Amino acid sequence: MPIPGGFAPVSKANSLSRPEAARPVLSGVSDHGAALSERALAERFNEVVLPHLGDALALARWLTGNAADAEDVVQDACIKAHAGMSGYAGGNARAWLLTIVRNTSYSWMSRNRPRGMLAVGDLGDLDDMAAAHGTSLSDEDGPEASLIAKADTAALEAAIAALPQPFRETLVLRDINGLSYREISAMLDVPMGTVMSRLARARGLLASELGRAP
Amino acid sequence: MTSHDDGLPNDPEGIRLMIHALVDGELDAAAALAVERRIAADPRLAAEHARIVALRGAVSRLPRPDVSDAFRARIAAIGMAGTEQQEPQRDTSVLPGLISVAGGGQRREAGARPPQARPSSRARRFGSFDWRAMAASIMISAVLASGATQWVMFSGAEDGFAAAVASGHRRSLLAASPIDIISSDRHTVKPWLDARIGVSPPAPDLAQDGFALIGGRVEVISGRPVPALVYRHREHLITLVAEPQQGGKITQPDDLSSGGFSMVHWSDGAFSYWAISDMERPELDDFVARFRKAAV
Repeated sequence: MPIPGGFAPVSKANSLSRPEAARPVLSGVSDHGAALSERALAERFNEVVLPHLGDALALARWLTGNAADAEDVVQDACIKAHAGMSGYAGGNARAWLLTIVRNTSYSWMSRNRPRGMLAVGDLGDLDDMAAAHGTSLSDEDGPEASLIAKADTAALEAAIAALPQPFRETLVLRDINGLSYREISAMLDVPMGTVMSRLARARGLLASELGRAP
Repeated sequence: MTSHDDGLPNDPEGIRLMIHALVDGELDAAAALAVERRIAADPRLAAEHARIVALRGAVSRLPRPDVSDAFRARIAAIGMAGTEQQEPQRDTSVLPGLISVAGGGQRREAGARPPQARPSSRARRFGSFDWRAMAASIMISAVLASGATQWVMFSGAEDGFAAAVASGHRRSLLAASPIDIISSDRHTVKPWLDARIGVSPPAPDLAQDGFALIGGRVEVISGRPVPALVYRHREHLITLVAEPQQGGKITQPDDLSSGGFSMVHWSDGAFSYWAISDMERPELDDFVARFRKAAV
């Protein structure tokens, strides 16, 4: 009686391991086809991805809202970057990686906290808002520059976190990641004028927030 | 509102965007000058400018997230995932990439293999009756064998490489332009090469020594793209092919001149260099000596 009982788990384990095993072998075969370029790809990964991890973490931190999630997101993004390395056609490696980090951040957030995504609202409305309110906001006297310069880190971080997402990502890409308007426009797939008005709007909101807080 | 004919927008929103663009370094000199004039003439614009500058400064001073060593190692392991399982045959079958130099340490610390690398070795062990595993192992044997053959043939291949470098140089003299990227600035040439083929050799500008860097191109030798730098010395062009090298073999300059061209070959451990020109040999030696000194 104990004997058949003893066999059962073994055969179960075998039948389980087969289908699971089949997939990696197939991918292994295709890897050999690309063997020549793979070293070059790995080398490129080191040159394209590793130097920009700080920027990637900073972007993911501001898009997801906290540093612990940022590491998960950047790790996911790097796996995607590694898989897509052959699609990297040269040019600004940082912008390329950050584009992947941005997309990964949003898919990660829609997976892990779907409710947060609902708050984003319609981008078109926000841009209209940016254009309409841009003038009225700080055409009146904004806060003194010295007040902004003195703002403490926590207040500034809270103010950035409170920005509507399209404004926040534009500001972070420009002022924290240091991308050019053109790169941001390409990454977000919006016209340059939209990048400029979002950025102006984001800075306007931050300035008035910091000016209010003293 | 006073109207200006300096080409800038006249609505308050438009000029505000231009001030942001000025602070962000996005304007050309002419537009920047025009915006600065407007700012100087209007205290409200000046205040806005000061606010933007202050805000940018404050944001840029925010603490940035640390990239911990553990995190960096985890990411580096992703990069090694593809190369790892095929390491043995690749070392001999493929002429090196920089990674062998840069990645040596990482490979060891990537002992904690990323999950992608693991399943296939397990599959080879368990699935011995699986035709796919069989096919894979045949594939591996084939790659190993061809790698070994290539290894044996490599010593003989060097002459072929030199001949290819020489014909590349000759062809470049006949072409409309001997270079694909025209620049005397190594900070332009290096990224250009890097972006095209993922390799960028040292490219010191030796203009002060009489050897001006005038650009670079990509040569395809033995079926692989390799970077080539082009220097000019008086009316002579020098092509310097730099093949990424593995194994850190350092060799002294070796004369391979023939057929009216002077050619010198040497290695510095990271790259194997071929310099070729129609200059006299002593002049080329002079170039090689200066390049080696500057490239260190």
